[in-house]
Amino acid sequence: MTALRLEGLTRHFPGTPRAAVDAIALDLPQGALLALLGPSGCGKTTTLRMIAGLEAPDAGRILVGGRDVTALPPHRRNMGVVFQSYALFPHLSAARNVAFGLEMRGVPRAERAPRVADALALVGLTELAHRKPGQLSGGQQQRVALARALAPQPDLLLLDEPLSALDAKLREEVRDEIRALQQRVGATTVFVTHDQTEALAMADLVAVMNEGRIEQLDTPEAVFERPASRFVATFVGRAARLPARAKGGGWLLAGAATLRAAEAPESGACEIFLRPHHLRPLREGATAENALDARVLRRAYTGETVTLELETAAGRLLCDLPGGTPEAAAQPGHSLRIGFAAAALRVFAA
Amino acid sequence: MTAWLLLLPACAILAAGFLYPVWLLARISLNRTTDLGAMEEALTLETFAKVAGDDFTWELAQNTAVLAASSAFLATALALPVALLIRAANPRWRGLLSLMAVAPLLISGTARVVGWMAILGDRGLINAALAGLGLTADPIRLINNWTGVRIGLTESLMPYACLVLIAGLGRLDARLEEAAATLGATRARTFLRITLPLAMPALLAAFLLCFVLGVSAFVTPRLMGGGRVFVVATEIFDLALETVDWPAAAAMAMLLLGALFAAMILRALLGRRTA
Repeated sequence: MTALRLEGLTRHFPGTPRAAVDAIALDLPQGALLALLGPSGCGKTTTLRMIAGLEAPDAGRILVGGRDVTALPPHRRNMGVVFQSYALFPHLSAARNVAFGLEMRGVPRAERAPRVADALALVGLTELAHRKPGQLSGGQQQRVALARALAPQPDLLLLDEPLSALDAKLREEVRDEIRALQQRVGATTVFVTHDQTEALAMADLVAVMNEGRIEQLDTPEAVFERPASRFVATFVGRAARLPARAKGGGWLLAGAATLRAAEAPESGACEIFLRPHHLRPLREGATAENALDARVLRRAYTGETVTLELETAAGRLLCDLPGGTPEAAAQPGHSLRIGFAAAALRVFAA
Repeated sequence: MTAWLLLLPACAILAAGFLYPVWLLARISLNRTTDLGAMEEALTLETFAKVAGDDFTWELAQNTAVLAASSAFLATALALPVALLIRAANPRWRGLLSLMAVAPLLISGTARVVGWMAILGDRGLINAALAGLGLTADPIRLINNWTGVRIGLTESLMPYACLVLIAGLGRLDARLEEAAATLGATRARTFLRITLPLAMPALLAAFLLCFVLGVSAFVTPRLMGGGRVFVVATEIFDLALETVDWPAAAAMAMLLLGALFAAMILRALLGRRTA
């Protein structure tokens, strides 16, 4: 069942050259987590704010569970929002913050207390219920914000960059917590982020946005492995970009090398995207659909992986290798042979 | 070192224009008034005892406190919507709107009083309108009494209340109100449960500033009271220049100064607690 449906949703701020959100359409099934992923200014937060009712669309419709909520004010939409800054009420304790939504919805006092306790227990903050937001750490505030949003059992959970205010280590932990919580509660969720790792790790569906439009709406795997556009290929993950010329039948001429792609135009100039993890070193006698001799230009060691920048006949490529393997020990100036599958090449007409 | 040197002119002005007169005032308040009304050099608290023991002094103090508190409350209450509007306004217009809110400060107090006379007088704008509409047979007394003074004082305090509230509310995160809305709160409930409690420190600061200014107000009670409104400031003026009882005037001034200092210390303490 469709929990959220956007139809031609558009917002054009006066005095700006283009629409901040330009005719966005999507369907989100019940219980799914959708990540709106894109660079700043791509319209992802505006989209979220329109769903929440905090921003009025110029055109289009928002349907929640089949009900048109486009004209409803935010307080009648039954949505749980976690703001980037959390926006916890500083004058109220964690418990009163969580109780606020229940109170506003007219939940009787006797029923409120156990529901507040449940919501706080859900995020593991039972002991800190009486604390004011100012007495809580960033991570704890984040959890209170989450509990506050979830307590009234909203139709939709909306998260606006909920991890951006946390430090790197905590971010990963809270990310997994939010995902686990979301699946346990079964809340249909829209999550705004500019961090592709966050989007890929948490979402059932990723909508990659650019300049107010959705460039690709797909599973994380599909977005990463089969980017639908050049923007998606560059924005999500790393990739080497090579100019090439299509020769027909899936053959491409890149630099001095001839490469085979699973899908390619029949003719004309094009651009190849090749992700670093698709490259494999070829040992003596091994073959691949595409094989190239390479010379190491630079080597970056990050512990788990070693990234080699390689000079090949096709151009410069990046290659991620697991740390500790013999090829990963290659130093600048060394030569090796690398291979990759035809399906690993993404080709876009130039 | 240079920074301290740069403070010298300000300190000199403060010393010459404030500390020295206050010292003189303190000194005079310890003098004695003879039965013939002449001032006699002394070091006595007699005058203080006389002033503090006079029921009229306490009536004046009460009048002054009630007038200042009610005007400060009205000024703060009226400035709140102004400050909220400015906060919600497009940032491009915020500066201009703030300027408009405090523009009355650019007009002299006397000119404003004359303006009020034209509006509130027996043949003023309001009474003319009411009479013209046939709503009143006789003019309503809106000036030369406490009502007139309260109206005038409230208006003269509003710019200060606006200044304090605009600064105070500017720090209030608009996301909090949005959060309240997404949690199901109507605009009225958001205001009562979120905006108002969070604006309380600013409201309190505005009220106290207006109160302090209201207590020491002289021009408005004098000119708009029509000689029927007596507060501490007008009494000090009368004692000094009409009765020519300088020690009594000085003693009353010192008592007022002490009360105002107490109010300002209270304000500073409250400000620190909420910061």
